[in-house]
Amino acid sequence: MNQAESDNAAYHWGMVIDLDRCTGCGACVVACQAENNVPTVGETLCSQGREMQWIRIERYWEGQYPEVRARFIPLLCQHCDNAPCEPVCPVYASYHTSEGLNGQVYNRCVGTRYCANNCPFSARVFNFFEPEWPEPLNNQLSPDLTVRSKGVMEKCTFCIQRIRRGKEDAKLEGRPVRDEDIVPACAQTCAPGAIVFGNMADPESRAFRLARSKRRFRLLEDLGTEPSVIYLKGGGREDD
Amino acid sequence: MTERQESKQSVKEMNAAMLSSMEAPSRGWLVLAAALGAVVGWGAYAWGLQLVNGLGVAGINRPVMWGFYIINFVFWVGMSHSGTMVSAILRLTNANWRRPILRGAEAMTVFTITVAAMFPLIHLGRSWKLHYFIPFPNTLGLWPNFRSPLLWDIMAINTYIIGSSLFLYLGMLPDLAVVRDRKQGLAKTIYSILAMGWRGTAREWRVYHKASTLMAALIIPVAVSVHSIVSWDFAMTLVPGWHSTIFAPYFVIGAIFSGIAAVVTLILILRRAFQLEEFLTPGHMDNMGKVLLVVSLLWSYFYFAEVLTTWYGHKPIEWAVFTFTGDAYGFLLGLMVVGNTCITIPALCFRRVRRSGPAMLFISIFVNIGMFTERFLIVVPPLAHRNVPFMWGTYAPTWVELSITAAAFAGFGLLYVLFSRFMPIVAISDVHEGEALRSHHRLGRRTVSTMTEEG
Amino acid sequence: MEVVGIFENLETAGHAVKDLIRAHVQEEDITSLTAVPYPEGVLVHEKDTRSHLQWFALGGGIAGALTGFGLAAGTAWLYPLFTGDKPIVSLFPVGIITYEFTMLFAILGTVFGMFIEMGLPGFLFRVQAPEVTEGMVGISVLCATADERGRIRELLLKAGATRVRTGGVRK
Repeated sequence: MNQAESDNAAYHWGMVIDLDRCTGCGACVVACQAENNVPTVGETLCSQGREMQWIRIERYWEGQYPEVRARFIPLLCQHCDNAPCEPVCPVYASYHTSEGLNGQVYNRCVGTRYCANNCPFSARVFNFFEPEWPEPLNNQLSPDLTVRSKGVMEKCTFCIQRIRRGKEDAKLEGRPVRDEDIVPACAQTCAPGAIVFGNMADPESRAFRLARSKRRFRLLEDLGTEPSVIYLKGGGREDD
Repeated sequence: MTERQESKQSVKEMNAAMLSSMEAPSRGWLVLAAALGAVVGWGAYAWGLQLVNGLGVAGINRPVMWGFYIINFVFWVGMSHSGTMVSAILRLTNANWRRPILRGAEAMTVFTITVAAMFPLIHLGRSWKLHYFIPFPNTLGLWPNFRSPLLWDIMAINTYIIGSSLFLYLGMLPDLAVVRDRKQGLAKTIYSILAMGWRGTAREWRVYHKASTLMAALIIPVAVSVHSIVSWDFAMTLVPGWHSTIFAPYFVIGAIFSGIAAVVTLILILRRAFQLEEFLTPGHMDNMGKVLLVVSLLWSYFYFAEVLTTWYGHKPIEWAVFTFTGDAYGFLLGLMVVGNTCITIPALCFRRVRRSGPAMLFISIFVNIGMFTERFLIVVPPLAHRNVPFMWGTYAPTWVELSITAAAFAGFGLLYVLFSRFMPIVAISDVHEGEALRSHHRLGRRTVSTMTEEG
Repeated sequence: MEVVGIFENLETAGHAVKDLIRAHVQEEDITSLTAVPYPEGVLVHEKDTRSHLQWFALGGGIAGALTGFGLAAGTAWLYPLFTGDKPIVSLFPVGIITYEFTMLFAILGTVFGMFIEMGLPGFLFRVQAPEVTEGMVGISVLCATADERGRIRELLLKAGATRVRTGGVRK
């Protein structure tokens, strides 16, 4: 746990992704794009590698034909506890919240792109151009969060707007946030249920219990960035 | 030491010769200034286009988020280490051959660091939000993050720009008085203000010398810190190939290397352009050549040490960067090693090479090509092959980046051309001082010159 | 008032200084105007050669260190934001910023001190002798009265001055 959080912090948001369940369908990518006003860049720019996905499906091939197997890893901002992207930002556009999130303040961002260089997961995307939503795409923009301008860095927020909404609802009803009250767009849309979001500070939460699995691992753990996203090893039979 | 003719010229004639660049501009000067201005204008257009459309017009892309702008930044900061640092070291060690070189080198520092300081601004996604970097009280109560190496950079460059400008001005003070006394009318008023009423009293000279020495002693640690901090922009990250403890000294040596080479290039151009052969002699080239040789050896040693550890350790991710550099940028790698080591070291061992104008021009330019390449190889390949193989990529600049790079060179040239027109480009008083302290003695069958030195 | 005699070369100027002293002109009132610095005593002896430059540099350095520390540590503490598990007041970054400001202010202090000690900028009330930058040597004498000014003028001309400039109201 990070210095930013006191020992008895009520929330530490985290995610468990079961790679055994992931089919690589890409529904999470689309859901994220729609939920978070992530711009689509069009065919030309996409082919140049300027697509702006906050979550991407990484596909790796294993083995030699015909014994070949595709492996998928949905990769999003890992919300590291010791995030390398945060201290390098000269203007505090990237900082650590008390709930274990990697905050990203779009209005503050000046676009040094230092954070993106220092993110070992390359999870950050940059607005190289002014984003456009041609009619009628503009009608589906979510009013819950800003539309970013050119020259600004952005990345997965664990659907911060949904976290806020969930906490407000709970507050109105005078109760703590219940487990699985808050579901990010990617988790909501994942058909096989590979993505589970929850409060890692709550030992009763489903995410916490899943994270204790023997199959658990975190990406690039040797770098010591302490990601909040926990993967469960997939791979099926040949690994048994 | 120098090949000056024995007959001592009058001070007035020497002044006229050393200030020849400040005479009425020739047609060649005007054409050159206009041409450089045009290139700068083209670069400004390219930057304008980038500001309007976004950084996508440059070749920068995920995963290589830093490209030519940062390469240029490192390169120009590196070049700036010549001047002030070299002249400070030569002042402190009282090297008498330094005198005619000082001004050109110190001015170069100020202009290269000015050009360098433009690049982080051009590089920003939202350049118009530059004031977010400046620590000033505001209604949000927000300050910049001093934990970021970029903030260290801004503070170090700020110190260096102010320090080296003052260093340049300080050295020019007596020379501005010389110019003042030769000018009439409005120009005289302007130079009078710049010269601050300098008269050359015993007290002024004494304080002046002490201040120069103190400034030289203060500016050297600043110069070292500036390029160390530039290196820390890279070394503080987790990027394989950047995260290396040797980076700070390696960058400092690289900076001095390209800086000295640039001084050599510049001296050769200046003496040709303004007929200063009498003051900037092969003797100076010889000495600068020796310094360049030593720094080249040091640079090669550092590079070898850096590569050796990577190669022997063979950590998978670092090795991936290493092999990728060789595969994708093999030509550049070769260019760098040839320019910085293979040609420079053997060639500079020969006195004839060091004293030959064309040979030194070739070597000094080649060194800076090599050093520009080196910066490219430092910035790009490690970013292109980071920890997640799915996001591996490459990088090539677009015409926007190339135009702005060209404009940087032209802008530096323009600043220098203007400077040589309006300011004394040779350290007149220092040269006179050298002359005044020189005396000729008969020793056996020949006359030798000696320098008076205070103990 | 100030009288400046212009001499062709160092030797005549040196003799002129000797003559002046022999004629009971206070040595601290005499100074030389030269295009290049000469070692102490070649023309004149300065009575007070103490210099406080290093103290200006040190004072600037201390002020800079406080400024740098205040900026780096103080602003972080004013609005504490956590980044990457680094302490709010982090040792190394604060040290680096403190260092940069120390050097900056030390340099500014040195330049400031230099001008103070030189007594510059000084445009008015001083005899400007443009011949000096062309290699002539000027011997400047401060004098209190018009009588004395005439006397010194005579002395300088007798010693071989090619020209004498007078003026100024500096004490």
